Amino acid sequence: MRMFRLLFVLLFLLPVQLIAATADANLLFLQMRQKLDYVKDYVADVKMKVDVTFMKVPPLHGKLYFKAPDKMKLDRSGGISIMPRKSISMTLNNLIPSGDATVIDAGYEQVGAVRTKVIKVVPGTDQTDIILTKIWIDESRMLAMRTETTTRDNGTINMDLVYGKYAEIGLPDKITFFVDVKEFKLPKGVTMDYDQGNKPATAAAAPEAGKQKRKKGKIEITYLNYVVNKGISDDVFRDDKK
Amino acid sequence: MLRLELYKIFRRPRTYISFAIITAITFVIQLAMLVDGSSFMDFALQGVGEQFDIQGNVLNGYLVTYLILQSLLIHIPLLVALVAGDALAGEANLGTLRLLLTKPVSRAKLVLVKFAGSLLYTLLLLIWLAVVGLGLSLILFGDGDMINLKSDAFVMLLRDDIMWRYMAAFGFAALAMTSVAALALLLSAFADNSIGPIISTMGIIVVLTILSNLELPLFNIIKPYLLTTHMIGWKGFFDDPVPYEAIQHSAIVLLAYTILFVAITVLYFNKKDIKS
Repeated sequence: MRMFRLLFVLLFLLPVQLIAATADANLLFLQMRQKLDYVKDYVADVKMKVDVTFMKVPPLHGKLYFKAPDKMKLDRSGGISIMPRKSISMTLNNLIPSGDATVIDAGYEQVGAVRTKVIKVVPGTDQTDIILTKIWIDESRMLAMRTETTTRDNGTINMDLVYGKYAEIGLPDKITFFVDVKEFKLPKGVTMDYDQGNKPATAAAAPEAGKQKRKKGKIEITYLNYVVNKGISDDVFRDDKK
Repeated sequence: MLRLELYKIFRRPRTYISFAIITAITFVIQLAMLVDGSSFMDFALQGVGEQFDIQGNVLNGYLVTYLILQSLLIHIPLLVALVAGDALAGEANLGTLRLLLTKPVSRAKLVLVKFAGSLLYTLLLLIWLAVVGLGLSLILFGDGDMINLKSDAFVMLLRDDIMWRYMAAFGFAALAMTSVAALALLLSAFADNSIGPIISTMGIIVVLTILSNLELPLFNIIKPYLLTTHMIGWKGFFDDPVPYEAIQHSAIVLLAYTILFVAITVLYFNKKDIKS
């Protein structure tokens, strides 16, 4: 009789629990998507720090324009702007699949001081670059604290988010991206580098130089203020001259 | 005496050929960049462009000037040699050197005046390059942040942080060209016609430039001692952070070469049997 009870629990109650958990995860995902969908566009004054091994870029200040679903531009009043490739994009809206998606409950994890619910989202279509997104959600505030997005062509993008006064509408005060970057190499015969006497070419180093290794790069964006849902013309996002 | 030397230099049509060549090369590069600069930039930035989206006026006057300076890397020393290589040998060729030495001036002073004349010509050449290269490029392409592509790095400099770098780079280039002028003057002291020292200076600069750029361990031993390795020290000002120590070292090497060349010229010329 006891065995029968145990079997009953295993066969019926556990799947019920799993279904309930998945339903919760689905609901959580939909609620968060809904919160993200509130923001149709925004203009924000931002400070950007690029920390990629081969890039020496000073901290950049500018205006970041966003228009749903995927338009984004950093304007530096005549200066050069550097953003991760368009296909990567830098908003939660784009890193979290829209439309049909399978949501899997992955338990709870601690992100800093916040206990977060972890869900995995698999897009329902293979037309998108995203294969899988893992989201750490602060359930009490319905905010994504961290995401990990595996893409087909752009490696894995990790994103940490910090919220402040715009948390109500799901907009972060600071985003830190961790992106996969390839090593950068140009022939010395073309660039005619000034030899600073610190890197002698050795035969042992040569095979390493040939490989296109991937490394992690970090991009930090601090949002100083937002102007939300005031409408932005598509002309703003037109490509500037190179 | 210096005034007379300058009169001689600037009376010759050959002197102005250098200014014309610099103007022509600069115009050609600027025209090419105006017409097809975007495809050039796409090619140059393809390594970074795969991963990052770069927007704005990338092809601005600062970058075009950098490209001009880069392509004139070998040419300017040759133009300097045109005048400095002719300084003593030209006089010998015309048969005026002996006449010149009948004046109550020491041979050392004559060499130094010839060197000073070549130096002034070199400075004017660089000022002209700054005017047509930097000045005109800024008018044609506007200003903006500058991208400097190194073999293993992508350096971006903010607009307000560039002009001083050009000033410093032109200052350093003047030092580098001074050493070339000293070399040409030295070779000029050995010859009795100007073609020899001019061609010899060109040959030495071309060979040393090739050696400086060959990435072979064998040449790494001699690279730190080559004039041409240090002549491109001006590029250091477009790095971030600026490698001041390396630039200072290069400046000292160039200065040492200049002093050495001029000293040997004076010593040799003092003992030279002047026959023409």
